[in-house]
Amino acid sequence: MPPDTMIETAGASRAAIELIDIRKAFGSAGGETTYAVDRMSLAIRAGEFFTFLGPSGCGKTTTLRMIAGFEEPTSGRLLLDGKEVTGVPAHQRNVNTVFQSYALFPHLNVGENVGFGLSVKGVAKDEIRQRVKAALESVHMAHAIDRKPSALSGGQQQRVALARALINRPSVLLLDEPFGALDLKLRREMQMEVKEMQRKLGITFIFVTHDQEEALTMSDRIAVMNNGVVQQVGGPADIYERPANRFTAGFIGDMNLIDARVVAHDSDRLTVDAAGGRFDLPSTLPLQPGDPCTLAIRPEALHFVEGEAGGRVRFSGAVSEAVYIGTDTVYSLTLADGARLNARVRNGDGQPMPRTGAPGTLACAPSAIRLLTQ
Amino acid sequence: MRKVLALYVPAATVVGYIFLFAPLIVLVVYAFNAGRSTVVWEGFSLAWFTEALRDRSLRAGLQVSVIVAIASAALATVIGASAALAVVKRPFAGKSLFSTLVIAPLVLPEIVLAVGLLVATVWTGIPLGYGTLIAGHVLVSIPFSFLIVRAAASGLDPRLDEAAADLGANGSQAFLRVTLPLLAPAILSAFLLCAVISFDNFVISTFVSGVGSTPLPIQIYAMLKTGLTPKINALGAMLIAVNVIVILVVMGRYLKTIRKQS
Repeated sequence: MPPDTMIETAGASRAAIELIDIRKAFGSAGGETTYAVDRMSLAIRAGEFFTFLGPSGCGKTTTLRMIAGFEEPTSGRLLLDGKEVTGVPAHQRNVNTVFQSYALFPHLNVGENVGFGLSVKGVAKDEIRQRVKAALESVHMAHAIDRKPSALSGGQQQRVALARALINRPSVLLLDEPFGALDLKLRREMQMEVKEMQRKLGITFIFVTHDQEEALTMSDRIAVMNNGVVQQVGGPADIYERPANRFTAGFIGDMNLIDARVVAHDSDRLTVDAAGGRFDLPSTLPLQPGDPCTLAIRPEALHFVEGEAGGRVRFSGAVSEAVYIGTDTVYSLTLADGARLNARVRNGDGQPMPRTGAPGTLACAPSAIRLLTQ
Repeated sequence: MRKVLALYVPAATVVGYIFLFAPLIVLVVYAFNAGRSTVVWEGFSLAWFTEALRDRSLRAGLQVSVIVAIASAALATVIGASAALAVVKRPFAGKSLFSTLVIAPLVLPEIVLAVGLLVATVWTGIPLGYGTLIAGHVLVSIPFSFLIVRAAASGLDPRLDEAAADLGANGSQAFLRVTLPLLAPAILSAFLLCAVISFDNFVISTFVSGVGSTPLPIQIYAMLKTGLTPKINALGAMLIAVNVIVILVVMGRYLKTIRKQS
């Protein structure tokens, strides 16, 4: 690395990775450049389990590939441990990747695969042998040291790929949908193991997934992405309970999204019209009368009421569907304006349980409704 | 109708095999003929084999052919494999035009290439000999090594290159430790095929071989003028045997590596 690219940035000591106004163009349609990643600015803290979450094609893998050095950003800067790495080739960056398809070398056995990184750096053979053994033991694969990758199952290949990356003691480990090819049970197991490993090693893990449940259970912080743009960054509870916009609200968990329009604005309250009713909700959003907005309500926050429901927000309609799913029943209520509202009601705790076709009223606390702009 | 078909398939297969192998069988059988004829059987003898091995011009021709085959195959494999890797792994302008031009000698009439080559050597004043012979054989072999290595290289997972770089390997380390070992079987196949193409070549050799560098096919053709004897059959039988042995060795090793991998 030439010395002039090793500029230390003041106050960046806590950040393992900083992305500053990163853009990656991937083509142009009709004279307009399209971006796989657009104006991304993020700081990922050292030792953090950070996840990029979004649907396929949202730019999360491209972001990871730019951090790894397989692709260069079109514009913007990338700092690794406070040092500029924009333009530094992949083999000179102290990051390692666990690939979606594992990308183990088919002509080398498990031990040679894991020792590859040390071997190209010219580490002594004895030390390589010891560290390979230790690395394989840490992922419970020491017995397979002489086998070829093709003789291993998907889960075993995954473990070898992890050992191959971690043996190099990277400052950041990148994981690109590493559990995509595993079945559900193995997936859960590996999620726990990887999370445990991260806690023990204290290395920064950057994880890419389209699976919101995986993201919520494993991450310290999540960046929700769509169309190359970061929608929201926050802890799992932040993202789930306080979605910042309609995309995040709809992408994370089940959510009722109801179109609404602002009628009146007070300092800390908004009056909105939605689904044929008028609601008075606590909110500090800078909305003016006439602005469109969205009401976001979790299905589990709603329940049926009969008659008055003191202080609660009520939605009346006809029950159009009731699906029994074991502990809960999921009801679908068609409101006066045709919008649908799903409610997840616990079975057998004394709540009224209307039948399909009957009129019903769902209610929730005003605080359970989240108002979103747009 | 079904009955006819049921007979047709095995019959066609048998006829096909006879068509393929009858000339070879006749050639090998008459190598052991005691008489001078290549069509009338006069008893068993190994005399023609000693005769063939003792023939100075045949031995000289064989030597030229082997040297030229190895040299031209080595060159054609290096050039063809490099071109193939460039086409598969690197983005550059005019890639498809480049590929087409590399394969062009495959579809151009060989006689035209040969004449062109001869004119070029005369024009540049390069003397005819090993150099021109090897150059000509490289020219007709490159498309084959290019196609074989390109097929193998495009089957490689591009993530493997990235994984190597990710683990700290620079370009040449990634090439020597990952790409080259994975392509080795294809490169070996390309080398062998190029060697066989060179060994068999007649048209180019006719034009650009010089005095003292006459390869075997030309030598054998020249012997026709003095009459065909079972000596040629004996030589042919030995060449077939060598070919079969080489193929068995290569295939055996190939099968072993495949079995080891699985």
